[in-house]
Amino acid sequence: MTGPVGLGIGWRPEIAGFVAGLPGLPFVEVIAESVPAAGPLPAELTALRERGVAVVPHGVRLSLGGAEPVDPARVAHLAAVAELTDAALVSEHIAFVRAGGLEAGHLLPLPRSREAVTAVCANVARAQAELPVPVALEPVAALFDWPDDELDEAAFLTEILDRTGAHLLLDIANVYANARNRGADPLDLLDRLPLERVAYAHVAGGAEQDGYYHDTHTSPVSPPVLDLVGELCTRHRPPALLLERDGNYPPAAALRAELDALAAVGGLPVVT
Amino acid sequence: MNPASPANVPATRPTDPTVTTLAARQAALVAALVAGAPPPPGFAPEALAATRTALLRKRAGETARYWPLLATGLHPRWLEVFQHWAAGRPPAGALCEGWELARQLQRAGELPPLGADELACWQAGYHYPEPGRPPRPRRLPSWGRVGGAVAIQFAGRVRLLRSARRRT
Repeated sequence: MTGPVGLGIGWRPEIAGFVAGLPGLPFVEVIAESVPAAGPLPAELTALRERGVAVVPHGVRLSLGGAEPVDPARVAHLAAVAELTDAALVSEHIAFVRAGGLEAGHLLPLPRSREAVTAVCANVARAQAELPVPVALEPVAALFDWPDDELDEAAFLTEILDRTGAHLLLDIANVYANARNRGADPLDLLDRLPLERVAYAHVAGGAEQDGYYHDTHTSPVSPPVLDLVGELCTRHRPPALLLERDGNYPPAAALRAELDALAAVGGLPVVT
Repeated sequence: MNPASPANVPATRPTDPTVTTLAARQAALVAALVAGAPPPPGFAPEALAATRTALLRKRAGETARYWPLLATGLHPRWLEVFQHWAAGRPPAGALCEGWELARQLQRAGELPPLGADELACWQAGYHYPEPGRPPRPRRLPSWGRVGGAVAIQFAGRVRLLRSARRRT
């Protein structure tokens, strides 16, 4: 399996100092769009690279699930960031973020239809042709479903992975959020996904609001999500786990405790 | 049988004349979520409304990262003010959105002093002639003035010379 090994954390400028102080850290993820294609990397990221910490560029605005062909300039940017960071793997989402000339501002789910599978696979193939390294695809959290889904989530995702040969970036918090908001059992999805294709798994905290569970990345990882990480590892232990935090940053001790808890559940070396 | 095997994927349904292309349907959905267009048929209205709100909350957070003083100055009403302003207005990027909101609040006489300070600093450092075009860094020494706030920029460094008057 190409890609990271061990326990990582999403690198964000706000917690760069904290991340720099993690002695055993094997890898970080960086939002690809936050890095200028021509460089230079933020100094803290360069320092991590010099320490041997691997970097996975994580795209959020490619819109691989858009019906229109993916923007070659955005693919070129992701490719350039992969080169800059000497990455072994990049990741993006099975989602679209713009349509009809409008930006949505976040990742939106696709209809689980044959037409959408074809569209996303075509865009992934276009990206793969230009990227210097393999790509892992991440299914997203959504508060709504399209009215005419033809496939269930497992069949939809498996079909895309089979046709593109891409790795899976499984976000356990998304699995939890979707199941909870649909009133489904998250284990049903875990039981049916090709877990041997998981390059790494995302873990994050969310919040209940207006009757929905939102994958906000601004709260601590909750016990049910941590339990679900355990369920994943029981079925097939992924090579790597990554903690995502995107705001409302806690004191360093709390973040360290979250990393330690993840290492324990995932059977991975402690990084703190 | 492996339930996830491609062979188990059902074939496409017969073409429904009311169903248009994926591109058109994605466009209609995004327009409904961010531009005030009516919800496309068949979607659960509550779920779309929750998504609309979540998108606004995310935009508010991103804008606050570029405009921390504006957000702080509007505390505890920041989220409410931003969401009211942004509802039905397609996303334009966090820097531009904070800029537009600050301008509108200034015109209405509702820009808090911290927001005036921040707008003056951005104006000193960046040229932002009109919505729809990204702000560009100013090359020459320049200044920004918003209400009582005055900021200057020289060689790319911005300094706030005078703060807007704090209301007591």
